[in-house]
Amino acid sequence: MAHVFELKTLLVLIPALPLAGAAITAVLGRRVLGRHAHLPVVCAIILSFLAAVALVFQMEGSLAGHKTANGATATYEEIVRLWSWLSVPQAMNAAADAGQTPPGWGQLKIEIALRADPLTAAMLAIVTCISALVAVYSIGYMHGDPGYARFFSYIGLFVFSMTMLVSASNFLLLYVFWELVGLCSYLLIGFWYERPAAAAAGKKAFLVNRIGDVGFALGVFLIWTLYGTLDFHDTTVDGQLVNMGVLGATRLSNPDLFIGGGVATAVCLLLFLGACGKSAQFPLHVWLPDAMEGPTPVSALIHAATMVTAGVYMVARCMPLFAASLDAQQVVSAIGGITALLGAIIALTQTDLKRILAYSTISHLGYMFVALGTGTVLGVVGGMFHLMTHAFFKALLFLGAGSVMHAAGGVIDIRRLGGLRRLLPITYLTFLVGCLAIAGVPPLAGFWSKDTILLALWERSRGAGEAGLFDILLASTLFGVLLIDFYTFRPFFRVFHGPERLPEEAGGDAQESPPVMTVPLVLLALGAATVGAYFEWTHGFAHFLAATPSLDYLARHFPQVEHVAELSAIQWKLGSTGTILTMLGILLCSAIYFTGDERRAERVAQAMNVIGLYTLSFGKFFLDEVYLLLVVWPLWLLARLAAWLDDYVIDGLVNLCGLTTVLCGAVLRPIQNGLVQFYALLMAIGVAALLMIFLM
Amino acid sequence: MHAELALLNNCLVVGAVLFGLGLVGFLSRRNMLIMFLSAEMMLQGASLSFAAWGRFHNDFGGQTLVLFIIAVAAAEAAIALALVLTLFALRGRLDIAAWHDLREAHLPPPLIDEEGEQVEAAPPRPRPRLSPAGLPPPLPPDMEHRLRL
Repeated sequence: MAHVFELKTLLVLIPALPLAGAAITAVLGRRVLGRHAHLPVVCAIILSFLAAVALVFQMEGSLAGHKTANGATATYEEIVRLWSWLSVPQAMNAAADAGQTPPGWGQLKIEIALRADPLTAAMLAIVTCISALVAVYSIGYMHGDPGYARFFSYIGLFVFSMTMLVSASNFLLLYVFWELVGLCSYLLIGFWYERPAAAAAGKKAFLVNRIGDVGFALGVFLIWTLYGTLDFHDTTVDGQLVNMGVLGATRLSNPDLFIGGGVATAVCLLLFLGACGKSAQFPLHVWLPDAMEGPTPVSALIHAATMVTAGVYMVARCMPLFAASLDAQQVVSAIGGITALLGAIIALTQTDLKRILAYSTISHLGYMFVALGTGTVLGVVGGMFHLMTHAFFKALLFLGAGSVMHAAGGVIDIRRLGGLRRLLPITYLTFLVGCLAIAGVPPLAGFWSKDTILLALWERSRGAGEAGLFDILLASTLFGVLLIDFYTFRPFFRVFHGPERLPEEAGGDAQESPPVMTVPLVLLALGAATVGAYFEWTHGFAHFLAATPSLDYLARHFPQVEHVAELSAIQWKLGSTGTILTMLGILLCSAIYFTGDERRAERVAQAMNVIGLYTLSFGKFFLDEVYLLLVVWPLWLLARLAAWLDDYVIDGLVNLCGLTTVLCGAVLRPIQNGLVQFYALLMAIGVAALLMIFLM
Repeated sequence: MHAELALLNNCLVVGAVLFGLGLVGFLSRRNMLIMFLSAEMMLQGASLSFAAWGRFHNDFGGQTLVLFIIAVAAAEAAIALALVLTLFALRGRLDIAAWHDLREAHLPPPLIDEEGEQVEAAPPRPRPRLSPAGLPPPLPPDMEHRLRL
């Protein structure tokens, strides 16, 4: 029994259980399991969560053991090889002038290898925790849906893909599961595929993601040609290094082994393009708001808490590559900053609660990338920390919105809702906790992670030569704090305060959701309230992540701040500034929206529109229209042209071939005249001809 | 030796003539019985060649083959005559040109000699019918209400 809790077994069990659950639900499905179709998947995900928690504790334990041994920060990395997928001994010839290519260079050997390091373990814990809560919530939310079994098998497949994505130890495997989560996202956005909007949204998400994936694929190809391997880890046989991984221990111990210069920037930017697609960053963010056509638990799980953070995880994982290119880091930060502001501004004026939350997700993902772009350990820890806290409060907000929808008969337009706090007390309280957490009110989760991001930005802005960009980003992030208050509390006040308004779809009376939905809400609210403070005070998260080999590399080779005292002093300053801004924002917002007075909000909107800001924000900066004009219509015209060519040119050629045969047939047809003697004559002539040929 | 060669030569000439006459008869005569006889003549021409070669090589293989051919020709005669009889009964004439059902649909029918012997054609015999596969057999009239269920 003890071996079940071995680290390697746990690491395999975490993805395997949801896959098994999904397979069982998909096979037995509606016919056998009926109303209990959720059981295999929900049980599997909960078990998988427990396994992830056990994994974290195991790793924590072994890290503590290491630390006492030699005092210095120990790193932890464990590779579990399952089987070899493909192996080509010499897939690429070593460059002629290189002479001393590292061992294993050019061997295309793809192993199904899982890795356990603190970064992966943290991601696994976050993903499985949120998935388990959302899966339980879905039991209530999806109750009675004709696609109940289908929904849960997709969810199981998604959790399998996502856990494999974060535990893959190879760029190719990462890519495979990157695509698989994209597929799950597509399937779940288009879950109600009878609705044209949902089908179109699924297609849009898939296509926009493809653009990013092209970049990712090119990045992987470039890594292959530069580093001659796709593995993250080193492979050793009997202590002899046989394959030097891209992010392996050998390379991490010697920064010269990383390729720098323009090529490094190209690799990083291509990888970042992939991350932009998956994590909905500025040029490619347009799919995420439309993805809200899917069921609300899907929005909470995939399009807020887990899948969209895959890009953040990928950039964090490849941080040593980004460390080789300061330009790429600046691009990451700048794109993140632009996205953060853009998403926040658009979120201010939307009227669909789920879309507001979607834009807020885009904005928060932007903050994560801002943090990662600083390229420091503090930045990566801040980004990952924000990823975790964001997963909690954003899942909470989405599930709260789902609960409102459930009560209001599927209506989510905040103009048609109001004063629901008495009808939905639990939803109201948990939603309030989520709003306070996302706004960054001190003891709640959002405060701590945002504080870390601000600190990382400040730290980087002290760096030589790049002060300008990061100072601007610091300022815009502080400004963003103000915007967050507005876009979270505006819908909050509209929906829960003011005069009571219920749409007719609710059927007269709205009821609080069943316990199976409110219990996950309460648990998530507890998480959103406490998780940040707990990890900040114990410093557990930072210490745990610092044991990741690639982050340890950053700490060793790019030490940024010497004065811890100065850092903690500025942390107080930044934290208090942020808090004051937050409080100010909440006060302003409640002054405008608390009473539900339409005219006051109207006047603010008009004041904003003096410079066209309101129209821009309400029209989502008209990016969809721009894309329509620049991309969709030219492509549509091209498609029409191709269709015309196909109809008249290609088909014409094909028809010509057919016509030739018909004509030949018409010429030869009279031979078939039905007369026995004529056939016999032809046969005799044929025999005579053959005899002539063969005998003469 | 010379005499043997001359014999072979003569026999082959006679065989070839027989075969050629048979071929011409088969191709040009339209009476089915004559055509059948012509075919027999071609067989005999070939048989004669076999026998001649067998003698020339002092080998019984040729004669053995001839015996086989005669046996096969007898069997064939039985079948062919039965066929000719049936065909005659169906169309009332022995003209082979009366049978042209395998021609391409739009081609004109061949010319058939109107004079010559003709008897009354037998009425077409009903062919056996099987119920089509995959469909239920027709229901008796008193149970047709079932179809509407």
